[in-house]
Amino acid sequence: MLDTDLLTKAVGDLDEDSVIKQLQEFAATNPSPEEAQKAVAACQSGMGIVGELFEQGEYFVGDLIFAGELLTNAVEILKPYLGGATSEKIGTIVLGTVAGDLHDIGKNIFKSMAEAAGFEVHDLGIDQPPGNFVEKVKEVKPEIVGMSGVLTLALESMKLTVDALRDAGLRDSIKVIIGGNPVTKEACEQIGADAFTTNAAEGVKICQGWVK
Amino acid sequence: MSDVAALQQERNELFRAVHNSKIPKRVPISISIPFEAVAQFGGLDLVQAQWQPEIVAEAADRLCELIFSDTCPFFGSMRFPSFYQILDSQSFVMGSNGFIQHPEVTGMLPEDYDYLIEKPYDCLLERVIPRQYKALDLKDPVKMALTLTKSYLAYREDMGAAAPIIGMLTEKYGYSTIGGSFGGFTSAPFDFLADQLRGFKGISMDIRRMPEKVAAACEALYPIVFKQGLPANPSIYAPVMFPLHMPTFMREKDFARLWWPTFKRLVDEYASLGVRTQIFCEDDWTRYLDYLYELPTNTVMIFEYGDLRQIKDKLGKKHIITGLYPMTMLARESKEKCLDKAKEIIDVLAPGGKYIFQFDKQPLNAQDINIENYRAVVEYVRDNAVYSNPGEVHGLEFNPADYKAEPRRSFESKYFTVWEEFKARNPAVSEHGKEKLQNLEEILFQYLMYLLI
Repeated sequence: MLDTDLLTKAVGDLDEDSVIKQLQEFAATNPSPEEAQKAVAACQSGMGIVGELFEQGEYFVGDLIFAGELLTNAVEILKPYLGGATSEKIGTIVLGTVAGDLHDIGKNIFKSMAEAAGFEVHDLGIDQPPGNFVEKVKEVKPEIVGMSGVLTLALESMKLTVDALRDAGLRDSIKVIIGGNPVTKEACEQIGADAFTTNAAEGVKICQGWVK
Repeated sequence: MSDVAALQQERNELFRAVHNSKIPKRVPISISIPFEAVAQFGGLDLVQAQWQPEIVAEAADRLCELIFSDTCPFFGSMRFPSFYQILDSQSFVMGSNGFIQHPEVTGMLPEDYDYLIEKPYDCLLERVIPRQYKALDLKDPVKMALTLTKSYLAYREDMGAAAPIIGMLTEKYGYSTIGGSFGGFTSAPFDFLADQLRGFKGISMDIRRMPEKVAAACEALYPIVFKQGLPANPSIYAPVMFPLHMPTFMREKDFARLWWPTFKRLVDEYASLGVRTQIFCEDDWTRYLDYLYELPTNTVMIFEYGDLRQIKDKLGKKHIITGLYPMTMLARESKEKCLDKAKEIIDVLAPGGKYIFQFDKQPLNAQDINIENYRAVVEYVRDNAVYSNPGEVHGLEFNPADYKAEPRRSFESKYFTVWEEFKARNPAVSEHGKEKLQNLEEILFQYLMYLLI
């Protein structure tokens, strides 16, 4: 029988050996889809702890990257047992690094934390022109669009992307969050986004607030 | 002496004073504007300008006319597309907007650690460089040899095109020939491993999964990055530049055992040779200020973020502080606010000397540059950050005898031919060829390492 509290704690501690051992032992019992789903939820709660420890200054960006990888590996072990059971989706996010910018570390951290929090994330990739955001929004009808960028010139691309969403008549049906080193309150206002963050954990919290 | 020559001498004196722990006449100002921003400022096509660097000369000249600085604001570029594109680089790639960037890529796999630790330079050349530069296909050796040669020629040509512009501007405007010059450019061993070899994600995994190998890899890379940065002719006025990258993304525990030890020993070894260090502390280094204090006296520290007072109080008597003025303010805030910030910064950082004015980072593109605010800020600093006691010695002084080199691995590889080896194979070689051949070996080493920094 899986001790979900122990699993959550091991994920929160980023104790990879313990997480993998617990899950392998659990998998050996050939769990039902419902049981496997509970294990996924326990891992996701562990990611919540990681996010809190990051905000408290106990963990840093490198730890968040490790946590994302740990979660991916954990879900990989559980996948064969999940069957048709899926966790409840709390919302959909279309995510991408904006035109001109090739950086994706921050975007990927946000993605893994958002997925751990229950979002379905459609990741467009890097250097994405406004048109690609518009097309994807039309296709998957998300509640949220997340734009990422590291270079100061990403701010201009973010503004063009918001303008394109507006021109396509999509802006009012979505919330827009921008993230990355150069974003500030002023930039957020100029761009016409709803929120900004330089902190992936905080970004996920903002998104959770929007879909409550 | 002409007015310009006198101005240049005066500016050199400002930097000489700072580097010698003396109070200068006024705070020296060092402004840098990157190639891309200069090209955009000149209304040039960015991609074209990067392929024809000589065409930015006029725009660079106009910028120098407009913006005051004691050092030449134009410094060419580290990243011209010619050699990266010839080599089909994965690690330096041009985005759709024409800016060359470093995406997250992996040049070394976890299973390469043992070979890297055993034969670091061989591993870089045989495995890492071919992974990062797809045109260097080991299965197509003739093509590969030609491609590498072509890329080197392109590198030499483009760097050569930018250099005379800097020389021309320095003479025309009387810029300091001391301030802003580097003796070398290299990375901390851990950053080298993280940035070009394992990638941000890879290194974050390795720190937890195989810390012993990370530590051993840093030891193995030490002689390479040491050699890369070591100036041919050391001068205390030409520090070696290290852009420091990973520490603020790490826990202090990991930093203290994996990042810091090899870096500290490396700069101490430089100091023992009379070579000073300049570091760019990317992000906010507040939690590492005590470590920074331990670096050799008069290390030039460019800060991006942090508390002015705390940095000055902790480091100001031992090291040379610069940076911290938020460049992004210039494009977004009113002139008054920009001037208030300048006043706030010089009030805290200028007293006692050991301070050079510059922004926390360079503007990336022309939109980041509000010429009016730029001018107002640097002219304010020039006219107001003036000392009443120039020439006085202040704070600690740098003395190479205070430092010693710890025992370490030496640099050796079958891909770096030393003179004795060459002579053994070519007994007829003249002794007069020694310097030339070792110099060629050195040029190739520096170029190959340039591809990984």
